[in-house]
Amino acid sequence: MSELERDRREIAAVLQQPGVHPDPSLRITRRTFVHRSCVVGAATVAETFAWWPLLNTLDIAYAAEAPFKFAWISDTHLYPKSLNTRFVEKTVRAAKEVQAMSPPADFLIFGGDLAQLGKVEELELGVEILKEINIRKVYIPGEHDWYLDMGKKWGELFGQPHWTFDHKGVRFVGLDTVSRGPDYWTARKMSPEERMGHMATLDGTVAGAWAGVGRDQLDWLQKTLANWDRNRPVVIFSHNPLYEYYPPWNFWVRDWREVNEVLKPYTKVTNIHGHTHQVLYNEIGTMRSIGMLATSWPWPYAPEGVPKLTKPMIRVDPGDHFDGVGWAKIDVSAQDKVEAEYIMWRKQVFAQSPDDYAKSIPEVLRPRIADNIWPY
Amino acid sequence: MTAPITRFILFRATPAVALAVLVGPAGAHKDPVTPQLLNSYQQVFMEQVRKGDLLFHGDAATEQAMDVVLSKTGMACAMCHPMTADTHPATFPKYQAQMAKFATLRDMINWCIEKPNQGEKIADDSEAMKALEAYIYWSQSGSVLNPGKF
Ligand SMILES: [Fe+2]
Ligand SMILES: [Fe+2]
Repeated sequence: MSELERDRREIAAVLQQPGVHPDPSLRITRRTFVHRSCVVGAATVAETFAWWPLLNTLDIAYAAEAPFKFAWISDTHLYPKSLNTRFVEKTVRAAKEVQAMSPPADFLIFGGDLAQLGKVEELELGVEILKEINIRKVYIPGEHDWYLDMGKKWGELFGQPHWTFDHKGVRFVGLDTVSRGPDYWTARKMSPEERMGHMATLDGTVAGAWAGVGRDQLDWLQKTLANWDRNRPVVIFSHNPLYEYYPPWNFWVRDWREVNEVLKPYTKVTNIHGHTHQVLYNEIGTMRSIGMLATSWPWPYAPEGVPKLTKPMIRVDPGDHFDGVGWAKIDVSAQDKVEAEYIMWRKQVFAQSPDDYAKSIPEVLRPRIADNIWPY
Repeated sequence: MTAPITRFILFRATPAVALAVLVGPAGAHKDPVTPQLLNSYQQVFMEQVRKGDLLFHGDAATEQAMDVVLSKTGMACAMCHPMTADTHPATFPKYQAQMAKFATLRDMINWCIEKPNQGEKIADDSEAMKALEAYIYWSQSGSVLNPGKF
């Protein structure tokens, strides 16, 4: 059995025990996502499990004192303007659409990977574009933002990479899942650019299992949640998913077991994450996890490990750079309901038939080798 | 019409090595392979895989050495196809909707170079094409052959 397979069985045994689910009062609304509009229908939890579970609409009991919404943008992967204008265009479009939300969103969470290669110029371009948005903005880092100067510029621009605040009855937490990667550069005497290059290669074999929360931050999280009623909602933003989906691409955090230990007492935890650039939904113990779209480009689903609860997104047209990407709106209504709506810049978000799903053609992939051959 | 039968009889009666001398024109047959020989063939292949891997991941030095411009947007093949995911080489040749034609893997590689990457098309029989093909097939060598599949 491969190590991956062992891990996967473990996560199923530990976290997907029969009868353990996120808040059972969860109601899931079925939607067809069309840009700027949607068709609403209702389904019970039982129906939903029989059908495809839906990603977008989530209830959180006791959530809202007053209805509100917030917006998510992430994974803009900005290059300098002179090199790539497409990524700039799409970031500008997302920013304009968030700013145009009516009524306005209470805040914007930027979920990491603002820059492509961590350059000052790229990060500053991001700040410039996001100035379009006049509401409160909070940020967590992505690996592409961090490993050129180890978070120096990012910290100057955005401050602490982890934080918490309460908003209308919900405790929000931002986690830094990127800065604690194992040191692969010192012994190999890499330049900052080389270090960044390996980190910026999703399928690279050099940077290893860099995604993690870390003991210190877990202790902080535990302290942060200690005075919070266990039955009240917690929304955790992280760049990487807080469960194990596909470690070779860091579609996980390596210390997901410890994260689960800390979160276990809380019955209404929602994790919203970036990094995977694709539609994802999963439930781990009492936590539900929602993957957000990038504005830059979509990653394919990993060859294995796509959560069974995910209704996959439709195959992307590589000829249309506005396809398979977008941003998200999250609503918290007066009826204590949290909805996440993918705003994808094409008509269909979800696969309508098995043939729409890229993984309907099975593939067996080998990890790359050239980055592990001397002199790398 | 009788020759094949004669050969068949010879085959039944003669050790294989002698057969190699008896049938077919001189020089048309290989020497028996040795582990060293197999190893050298494999090395030739893996060198192509290595180069293809570097090209696929946007390595500027390899592009320069092979005199190709695969991208002008900063995008590399591996950014949409980590570990060659979703390249589905085993489904070619097939009707490819983006090109609206019956296409080979090489056609598709060039389409990606020209459209999303906005780079410069490479010749079908170029070293860079062979290297890219070697890497993609190597990476997907466990996938099942399914030509024509959408
Ligand atoms: Fe990203
Ligand atoms: Fe990322």
